[in-house]
Amino acid sequence: MRPLLRFFSRIGIRLLLFNLLLVFLPVWFFLYLGVYERQLLEAQERSMVQQARLVAAALGEGGELEAATATALLHRLAQRTEARLRVVDRGGHLLADSAALGPRQPALTVDRTASRYTEPPPGSREARSRPLYRLGAALYRLYEHVDQSFSPPEAPADPDVFYAPGRPLLGREVREALAGRYGAATRTTRGGQRSLTLYSALPVASGGQVVGAVLVTQSTYRILRALYEVRLDVFRIFLVSLAAAALLSLYLSGTIARRLSRLRDEANRLLDRRGRLTGSFRGSTQLDEIGDLSRALAELTGRLSDHLAATESFAADVAHEFKNPLASIRSAAELLAEVEEPEERRRFASLAEREVARLERLLSAAREASVLDAQLDAEPTEAVDLAALVGEVVEGFRLRPEVAARSLDLKLERPAEPLFVRGRPERLAQVIANLLDNALSFSPDGGTLHIGLGWQVRQRLWIVLAVLDRGPGIPEAHLPRLFDRFFSHRPGEAGARAWHTGLGLAVVKAIVQGYGGEITAANRPDGGARFEVWLPALAGL
Amino acid sequence: MSEKLAPRIAVVEDEEGLRDTLGFALKREGYRVDLHADGLAAWKACERELPDLAVLDILLPQMDGLELCRRLRALSERLPILFLTSRDEEFDRVLGLELGADDYLCKPFSMRELLARIKVLLRRAALAGQPAGGEDEGALAAGTLRLDLKRYQASCAGQPLPLTVTEFLLLAALARHPGHVKTRAQLIREGYPFDSYVSDRTIDSHVKRLRKKLADAAPGADPIETVYGLGYRLRV
Repeated sequence: MRPLLRFFSRIGIRLLLFNLLLVFLPVWFFLYLGVYERQLLEAQERSMVQQARLVAAALGEGGELEAATATALLHRLAQRTEARLRVVDRGGHLLADSAALGPRQPALTVDRTASRYTEPPPGSREARSRPLYRLGAALYRLYEHVDQSFSPPEAPADPDVFYAPGRPLLGREVREALAGRYGAATRTTRGGQRSLTLYSALPVASGGQVVGAVLVTQSTYRILRALYEVRLDVFRIFLVSLAAAALLSLYLSGTIARRLSRLRDEANRLLDRRGRLTGSFRGSTQLDEIGDLSRALAELTGRLSDHLAATESFAADVAHEFKNPLASIRSAAELLAEVEEPEERRRFASLAEREVARLERLLSAAREASVLDAQLDAEPTEAVDLAALVGEVVEGFRLRPEVAARSLDLKLERPAEPLFVRGRPERLAQVIANLLDNALSFSPDGGTLHIGLGWQVRQRLWIVLAVLDRGPGIPEAHLPRLFDRFFSHRPGEAGARAWHTGLGLAVVKAIVQGYGGEITAANRPDGGARFEVWLPALAGL
Repeated sequence: MSEKLAPRIAVVEDEEGLRDTLGFALKREGYRVDLHADGLAAWKACERELPDLAVLDILLPQMDGLELCRRLRALSERLPILFLTSRDEEFDRVLGLELGADDYLCKPFSMRELLARIKVLLRRAALAGQPAGGEDEGALAAGTLRLDLKRYQASCAGQPLPLTVTEFLLLAALARHPGHVKTRAQLIREGYPFDSYVSDRTIDSHVKRLRKKLADAAPGADPIETVYGLGYRLRV
């Protein structure tokens, strides 16, 4: 049961079934609800009534009906009509019969086979006898057989009351016509064929009196033949549609199902047995939804592996950074155990303490950096006036004792109007403070720091914060690694490694990129470094 | 050390605390010590006067330890060089050894271990300059392997093996009882007599390198056999 269920829940199979059903629907209505057959019969009856009316009108002029006049009229007319016309008097006695006038002539305009009702056209092979029709009929009979076992049996049609020569023609329809009404009857044709003969009778009136009736009879054999042709055509179209639907479904399942299963295979190969990301989606060049999906998956795995790599390298970086203070602490502890001199012992004890404090600082900085991305995504942002914020942070730095002690000068240039960006004020303040910290630590005593704020148009409106110092600048080789975590380059600075975690600029970059911005670092041509932070300006403010 | 001037050791380490303790400990052992905070300054000093031994960090400002090692090696084939590394990736280690370093220790290392290594390296360097003495008890032989326990020199099929101190100690431990399995823990005790912080994987990477050096000296021979789940032994 389950494999069968799986088979039918495949997209390709479902497409096929659906398409085949679509092909069946019109056939159902057209062929099996008999719409067409009824229409044809109605059209035939209308034309028969029309003929009868013409004959009745022509005969109605001359009072009592006479056989000679009626025969003459039929003679002129009937040999060009398809139906058999008969004229009877009030008593139902036959006055004229178109069938008694010899073989009919071909119609003037339409070249129909000049046959009587039951004769098949010579030469042309009957539609019913074709193998294709037989196949369709067999299928139909199968359907009918099934169908009839569900529906009540129908009343059989009237048997054909054959009007024998010499006897009055007083069938139901003729009696109706002689009573002044339109009469009609349907009788099954003898001879085993499933064909009917339609009988229509119209009164012939003269001077307000019914003087006789015109009886028109025509076999439905022609209709049935036309119907056989139509059925054959429909069956043919049906078979072609069936093939077309099957081919289309195969093609569709090829373009949908096969590509989906390829995606599934790629997804299966994505992780190895230990759950590690080993591959990635290749991404399709197709422009449809599956192509979109595959591209989205490719991007997803790309970002996932970037993230995993970053996480792994972060752990390695942290371990690496921890080993230096650990090495100092271990050697200090070993020396403490061996050394007797109190002064040396104090020295190593304070060294160990200092390194422990550094480890703590590293730990909290690493923690902060590792959760930064997640926090940036989670915390709500607001419109922040960067001009005001920069002013506050710079003012705070000017009040720092070390700035006064080193007689550093902080020069701020900013426009008078507010410049809005989207973010958290404390994060943006951290960006500014870290950049200032960095610049201050590299500045020579008595140097000047320039902080500039403005805007630039580059595809969109950007708010640009620039921090310029007069320090030694950045060695070219270090530019690509400058914003890496734990990267710290502080030449000739005693104890520099102890105080700077190497995370300050990495944090700045993470925040700026988290807010959709970019950070750049360059050397000033006349000495010193220049850091620029580009943040997207908040539109409409 | 008494009859001659004490050996001079150059320490290049940018960690202030570590440089401080290293300087103190080495001086206490009676060595003369040059302390340098960056690679370039150390190179300039060594170029002026070659030390008897160099202790190098890998990540150094101005000039990194690997470049410094390359330059020192170009200056002298004999100068013992010992690396202090904080990255335990194979890359740095192999590169350090391929550059001609004699030994290395991973941070955080034991100061006693470091002092012992320095002593071995200095003795090896001193003995290497002298002609070999008579047949003494300080020699080991196993198959085509010959180990001089005094000079810390080894050869395989007549070819000298350029081993680090750690590799030599591991090979000696295996060669002392050929055919006997040595567990990784035993090998750690032999290879790192003072350090309890060494992992099994460190031993594995040492053995891997040892095998490579043996294969280079005597192609085809693979005297060290891995006993899965236990350790290693020397084939008899």
